Amino acid sequence: MSKTVCVLPCNGIDKCAGDIARRVALKLTESKGYELICPVLLNQNKTRYDKALEGGSLSVIDGCNTRCASKLAGRLEIAIKEKVNVSEMANEQNIKLGVAIHEDEETDALVRVLLGKMSGTTEKQAESAVIVPKSVDYDSFTQGKFIFKVPKDGYYFNENECWVYVSGNTARVGISDYEQQNLSDILYVDPPDIGLKVEQFDDLGSVESGKAVFDIISPVSGTVIAVNDKLEDTPELVNEDPYKKGWLVELKLSDFEEDKELLHGFETYFELLQRKAAETDVED
Amino acid sequence: MGVERDRIDWSPRIDYTKCNNCMDCVEFCPHQVLKVNEAETPKLKVKNPNNCVVFCRACAKTCGLDAITFPDKPETTKMIKAMRKADKEAKASE
Repeated sequence: MSKTVCVLPCNGIDKCAGDIARRVALKLTESKGYELICPVLLNQNKTRYDKALEGGSLSVIDGCNTRCASKLAGRLEIAIKEKVNVSEMANEQNIKLGVAIHEDEETDALVRVLLGKMSGTTEKQAESAVIVPKSVDYDSFTQGKFIFKVPKDGYYFNENECWVYVSGNTARVGISDYEQQNLSDILYVDPPDIGLKVEQFDDLGSVESGKAVFDIISPVSGTVIAVNDKLEDTPELVNEDPYKKGWLVELKLSDFEEDKELLHGFETYFELLQRKAAETDVED
Repeated sequence: MGVERDRIDWSPRIDYTKCNNCMDCVEFCPHQVLKVNEAETPKLKVKNPNNCVVFCRACAKTCGLDAITFPDKPETTKMIKAMRKADKEAKASE
């Protein structure tokens, strides 16, 4: 049968967002197949949950952008299968939460939205239409103890470390080798919805490591037609192979000729990146 | 972006009524956009707005209190495209 879903909520019991995280977690774990993880106990004694986590997957409910629950999972090196953020969802729904705990129609509605998102099924996506090159030719440079690779042909970059590879009217988007090393171990990829229409530089979901949340900033305008569902179970592909197996999103292009004006090809990106790497020095 | 950085208005705006001086944003940003000055009030300053990577909002993501906002993205893109177009036309008429 299906695996246990371990639910790790925010522990902010003194604030509204934390209280909502708690309510969502309690409601979810009323159903069979869910197990509640107490963040305080997990922090103190991870072995208490080893059995459940080994045979199951982890769902995280963060209260706010301090992301204590996600960071705890990251520190204990537990891969996150899915997650929601109460404050971000409240913003999306135009709900002002405030600090004081309150149970009313508005917070009830938010709990329902969050529950829907967490138990919802993912939309079907089209078969991939992008023809990827069999082998990619890279140039690279060394900065300190890091080596950064940049593909020489066919990839375009924006200044936010996202690449696009175009094949006919469709394109794949991912993050650069520099960015994946900067973030280090990627624990979670939050993909955009299939069918989402974006303008150039709009957000296409995010990737998250123990260090930071990184917004994927679309190098192109278009419509999301597929996401890399392999990353759900193996987000480390973004670290291992950022330009091929670790692709993130596939889009149907709107106007690549216009988008291209604000993108970099190999030569200017390579130059830009060398300058950037020298200025910022990637840390461990 | 094909336009000089100082012509693009993109940098964090801090809401000091929300900021609690935790300085997570300062620690996070590798581009020295933000700066702490212990002797001043408020302590947190946007020191080098033009170091900020256009369309990056990562420091705002570190803020649990939502005290950091950025300009509107589509508006900024529109402005950059308009500037590029004007520059091109000016060059063509030289």
